[in-house]
Amino acid sequence: MAQSTAHRRLLQEYKSLTNNPPDGITAGPVSEDDLLHWEALIEGPEETPFEGGIFPAELKFPKDYPLSPPTMKFTGWIFHPNVYKNGSVCISILHPPGEDPNHYEHASERWSPIQSVEKILISVMSMLAEPNDESPANIDAAKMWRERRDEYNDMVRQGVLKMLGL
Amino acid sequence: MANDQLNLGPLILILVLSGLILRYLFVTSQPQPQRRDPQAAHRAREEATQRILQIFPRVDRRSILWDLQRTGGNVDATTERILTGRLATPPITFQPPPPPPGSSITTAASSQPGHGAKLVESSSQPDLITRYNLQNKLSSVTAAEQQQPAVVDKKGKVWSSNKDERQAALQKRREDMILAARRKMEAKLAAQKNAPT
Repeated sequence: MAQSTAHRRLLQEYKSLTNNPPDGITAGPVSEDDLLHWEALIEGPEETPFEGGIFPAELKFPKDYPLSPPTMKFTGWIFHPNVYKNGSVCISILHPPGEDPNHYEHASERWSPIQSVEKILISVMSMLAEPNDESPANIDAAKMWRERRDEYNDMVRQGVLKMLGL
Repeated sequence: MANDQLNLGPLILILVLSGLILRYLFVTSQPQPQRRDPQAAHRAREEATQRILQIFPRVDRRSILWDLQRTGGNVDATTERILTGRLATPPITFQPPPPPPGSSITTAASSQPGHGAKLVESSSQPDLITRYNLQNKLSSVTAAEQQQPAVVDKKGKVWSSNKDERQAALQKRREDMILAARRKMEAKLAAQKNAPT
């Protein structure tokens, strides 16, 4: 069976993420029988309330990857302005190529085949550290982050402990 | 006369309908928390509050009681709301009874040590230790294993040409990452506890 472009490319990305994993990131297919479904673990960035935590997420790739971007969804506890309550991540690098009709994002920030899983995961990691206040996905989290930062930080720390079973 | 009779039909209909609506309103508002025993209900509420306070010592007791009142004493629902930041501030008129002097957090903890853990497990998102079945590995790590992490890491990071080996190596990396984070956090918590404040 001839392997599709998506499979070849994903296998290659998996290989490079295995040999040179970025700090605080572990990612790969849930099972190699289905390369379009990955699981990633992201470490909470240091100097943030997420520090010390591990956040699991699943990535689902379309058949025409890398032309179209994957979707990413946190599968554990998360409370962040740019993550929907169901865990879906809202970040420009996951948005399809082309200009944003609302002109919030530059084309260069959005998905294109020169991006990669590694770049997505690194972007999400820095998003945890620095929420983007312009396009909140979780209104409650955004509001608390903006107006009651101490309470937000407290809640994130509790969530981190909960995820580690502590 | 003919007119009157024509209007009678709709009139009766309206009367019957409004009667039904009124009945509906009464019936639905009546069978709410028919407390069999206010004492027992109060005790159960207090117990639930203590359990939540064990997990979230910083959350206001009054807010917890208010939320429990609204959820009918559902601890999971209230926990979920605290975690997602949707815990509402109670109105000033809500004045719960003060906590009974005997049942401080310490007595609750000593009598039911497993409660906190049970609560976390039963919520919609299991923690990572449960999800990856790492309970056994948590305690079984020896000093010897911790002494040679470099070797393990290197081995795990090299791309194998065998699919199953790759899968196993990835699985191991995931588990190691979670276990390392857990241990680090445990050490941090222990240090915080011992440090004089």
